[in-house]
Amino acid sequence: MSAVARPRRLEGGPDPDLVDVRAAQVDRAAFAVLYRRYLDRVYGYCFYLLGDHHDAEDVTERTFLAALAAIDRFRDQGAGFRSWLFRIAHNQVANALRSRGRRRTSPLESVAEPMASTDTADEIGRADEARRVRRALGKVSEDRRQVLVLRFVDGLSSQEIGAVLDRSPGAIRVLQHRALREMREILAAD
Amino acid sequence: MRRTPTVPERLDSAIEQLLGGLTPSIAAATGGFDAPGRSLLETADRVRVGLPLPPVAPRFEARLGARLASAASGDPVAWALRHPGRLIVTGAVGSAVGVGVTAYAVWRSTRRSSTGRFLHR
Repeated sequence: MSAVARPRRLEGGPDPDLVDVRAAQVDRAAFAVLYRRYLDRVYGYCFYLLGDHHDAEDVTERTFLAALAAIDRFRDQGAGFRSWLFRIAHNQVANALRSRGRRRTSPLESVAEPMASTDTADEIGRADEARRVRRALGKVSEDRRQVLVLRFVDGLSSQEIGAVLDRSPGAIRVLQHRALREMREILAAD
Repeated sequence: MRRTPTVPERLDSAIEQLLGGLTPSIAAATGGFDAPGRSLLETADRVRVGLPLPPVAPRFEARLGARLASAASGDPVAWALRHPGRLIVTGAVGSAVGVGVTAYAVWRSTRRSSTGRFLHR
């Protein structure tokens, strides 16, 4: 697993990835830095949307190969490299879902636990809670699920999520509000 | 005049604080949320904790890393086709250097032969 720090973009500030992107545009071998920085985030996004480790690996691979092939065309137009990369991942996930003709391989709650071990009662409790949350996530609509995953798994801001999903930041905030209300109801009924 | 932030906007700011490390109750208090708002932030915290980053298989990470490294080293023709501007500049500079070297060689040989003729006189 990557231990490379992921820079966080301040609202309206410069893209912290830009130096590494410029390096990768000059020498494509430098793309390895961006790969190590974002592998786990992109994989997490694919995993929670596809609900399957193998599909997530497949789509993560396509995403990084497509990003490497297109890195010369990246221009910082405000949204930043992170949004650009997740937009590629979003398109690849959409293609995977379309081409396989189903919304998800298996229900999220049946997927192997992403936590490392379940040795203690505390960890078992956490694993149960994670299962409940994943089950609830599997019940919300796809656009709401996208927003929740990009926000809470990948840590993107509403502005960045807007760039990924091609919506305004205001629309993303409203979606996020509705998604959390729905999650609250589902979790309360569980 | 300053517009009052909407509930989704206030919630978004409170979530930003939650993701920055504040507890749901402090984030709710900072955002001025009432009981239903607080419960939304508690839900947000459950989602944050309940959706950890799944571990990436080391074998997959290594395989994809190797594939990207191989693609990055790439073939030069494909690189040139992706950068037609740089190809033209490289060609122009190469031609200019070639013309310069040829002109110098011609000039040198002309000078040598005229010097030789002068010495033979």
